[in-house]
Amino acid sequence: MNSMRIKLAVGACVFMAAITYLAFAGARQAHVYHLTVDQFLSDGQYRAQRVRLCGTVETEHFSSSPASLAASFVLKGTRVELPVQYHGVIPGLFQAGRDVVIEGQLNGQGVFAADVMMTKCASKYESAGRAPTDKPDALDAAVKLGSAS
Amino acid sequence: MNTLGEMALSFAVLASAVAIGASMISVRFQSARALSAARWCVAALAVMLCVSSVALIIALLGGDFSLDYVARFTDRALPAGYKLAAFWAGQEGSLLLWAVLLAVLSTIAVFTLNRQQSIGQSAATIATLSVVCAFFALLILFAANPFAASADIPNDGNGLNPMLQDSAMIAHPPLLFLGYAGFTIPFALMVGALVAGRRDDRWIDATRRWALFAWLFLTIGIVLGAQWAYVELGWGGYWAWDPVENASLLPWLTGTAFIHSLMVQQHRGMFRIWNAVLLAVTFVLCIFGTYLTRSGIVDSVHGFGESLIGTFFLAFLLVVVVFSVGLIIWRMRSLRSQRKLEGLIGRDGVFLATNVLLGAMTLVVLIGTIFPVISRAFTGTSTTLGPPFYNKVVAPAGLLLVALMAIGPLLSYGKEAARRLARGSLIPGLAAIVAGVAVWARGFHNAWAVACAAIAAAALTAAGIDFARMLIARSRDENPLLALFRLIDGNHRRYGGQLVHMGILSIVIGVTGSSVFNTNQTLQLTPGHSTNFAGFKLTLNSIAEGRGVNYERTEANVTATDADGSSITLKPERRVYDKWEEQTSSIVAIGSNWKRDLYLNLAGWDEGGQNVAIQAIVNPLVNWIWAGGWVLAIGALICLIPRIEGLFEKAAVPQRTFPVRQEAAKAPSPRGRRSRNPGPAVAAR
Repeated sequence: MNSMRIKLAVGACVFMAAITYLAFAGARQAHVYHLTVDQFLSDGQYRAQRVRLCGTVETEHFSSSPASLAASFVLKGTRVELPVQYHGVIPGLFQAGRDVVIEGQLNGQGVFAADVMMTKCASKYESAGRAPTDKPDALDAAVKLGSAS
Repeated sequence: MNTLGEMALSFAVLASAVAIGASMISVRFQSARALSAARWCVAALAVMLCVSSVALIIALLGGDFSLDYVARFTDRALPAGYKLAAFWAGQEGSLLLWAVLLAVLSTIAVFTLNRQQSIGQSAATIATLSVVCAFFALLILFAANPFAASADIPNDGNGLNPMLQDSAMIAHPPLLFLGYAGFTIPFALMVGALVAGRRDDRWIDATRRWALFAWLFLTIGIVLGAQWAYVELGWGGYWAWDPVENASLLPWLTGTAFIHSLMVQQHRGMFRIWNAVLLAVTFVLCIFGTYLTRSGIVDSVHGFGESLIGTFFLAFLLVVVVFSVGLIIWRMRSLRSQRKLEGLIGRDGVFLATNVLLGAMTLVVLIGTIFPVISRAFTGTSTTLGPPFYNKVVAPAGLLLVALMAIGPLLSYGKEAARRLARGSLIPGLAAIVAGVAVWARGFHNAWAVACAAIAAAALTAAGIDFARMLIARSRDENPLLALFRLIDGNHRRYGGQLVHMGILSIVIGVTGSSVFNTNQTLQLTPGHSTNFAGFKLTLNSIAEGRGVNYERTEANVTATDADGSSITLKPERRVYDKWEEQTSSIVAIGSNWKRDLYLNLAGWDEGGQNVAIQAIVNPLVNWIWAGGWVLAIGALICLIPRIEGLFEKAAVPQRTFPVRQEAAKAPSPRGRRSRNPGPAVAAR
């Protein structure tokens, strides 16, 4: 019985170590900071990495072209603004004045290059269990199980 | 009618309060009459909530915009089916749905409680169910009343969100909620057994059935939800590791673990503390999921807002956690195992490993889901963990789990287990190697795909051999067809369970195929021209505008010709609903067969329709996922239904329709309940 306990304990340790390692590796690869435009611009450490930003789409300098899958606009924080170039499927709810969440990275010209866009829903609770979402295609490469390999 | 609906809600609260009181009195005075009164109060509660629901349905179908809820979620032009679906389109209605389902299930549960058990045990179960019902009824009445009047009666309602105008949305929420609500019943049964301090495991049979029932609906709900996401959200996937999706997966994982490890308790008297914990955790996670989706604490792409309901759920959650922990600690001594684990290779060991894997997956999904909250608390900056985080852990753990599932039929109890497993796994092992090599040789050079094929082949052969051996043994002195029927009918749990495993296998194959080998490209097309994509020649024939019931649509007409010349026409469209002009919703077109889906989403077009952007995805094996869902549902149903042959023999005796009762009727002696499986060869396992 004792050897059984030892086997069990060793097995449990190995297993926990494996899971923890995988979780940490996954977390390092997949963690993305959620920031407001102000936080993003005020702290230099985020400049060189992928982040998720939320803000409001400025009504000026707004152009969106669903056919060529591109939009350029200015994302407004409380005090500061950031020019954004977005490439990907334009969500159905996207328009000037709306709150959006974008994911991407700052490029060399000081423009935020985004490839993920989510429009925040206007009304507060829309569905049972699931509320509407607009999920752009760029997410799905990462979303699929296969990307773990 | 609306007044009636609201009054019924108040009476429902009253009935639940009386039920709680009556069950307490029944314990204090050991009064069977008080217990019976408590039962009838639960029934009255269910009736009241049904009345309330019917009133809401009438208001919804009749377009009674004097109710704020009706005005917010329907409009005149909405088709009747979606008017009904609007019942669960919003916070208030979905809570009412949950409550009414819970109340009806509770009624069935309290009237089918084992009459031989002590009053205390029954009373504790009834009281637990009544408390949960009371919570929901109070919440609906005071914080989310669907019968609240509109401030001023509008001429027409807002209309249902386009995303919810989908046939899957009619069935998905009620089934999912049936699963969520269903897990309350086994929890309450367990509370009853623990409060009564029962050392035996007689309460398990009913608990297992209820847990399986809840699990079945939770699973169907999740699969339908994935299907809805796939056709409605237009990004070509079915699972995004979104908090809302995770919220339904969490109780599924622990519920699955519970159903499995309960078998060990039933057969071997082990894992008793662990099972109690698992069941409590499953129930808590059902509530937690609701808290997560209603409170807005986690930023979801599903875009929830903040709401006060979350606070109530959090409070209730804490009460349930404290209560469960206290109860289990209080009864720790009576829960101690009667036996020790005999070996890691036998059934106990594999069930233990299953538990550990499912537990680890639950933990990882839970941490990932609430990570934004945790990281905000510790660092001040919120951080999300994206899908790769989940995939990295859940994919290998899941595959390992499926591998354990594959050797399931080969397992036995006792000291001989290892030798039997070694002997039995020869042919399945060979099949696995053949399948793995075949997949590799066909050019699918991917470790996940090879592993998945090998495991699937092993599982199929192991189950097939096991079944064939039993069938042959029986067919010696019986007509083969009758033998087949009797074999399955005599072992519902075993063969139903294996069918569920086949369903899971099919889902895993589908998920692997569509994740590993999907091709995704956004194509720019002009009318009359063709482009090649993943073995298809896609020709945009035209793009045209039109009008539907309550929307304007722009529809692209695309012909897809595959390598062997067969062609299909797909018409992806974008709709702008009259009531939601600022939003376009995509209706994807899917050309589907058992090998792959060709998934087209009309992404955009310019004025005049000369440039059209279409997102094209080839997703292999997606249909296997949906087919797996059906197989699994049938398997779980087989597990749930009573033995058919036995029914005819006792046709003269008045039949009670609920399985738990029949179980008791069939096997009145407590010993007999243990070894219900009549097949001699099977019982020996």
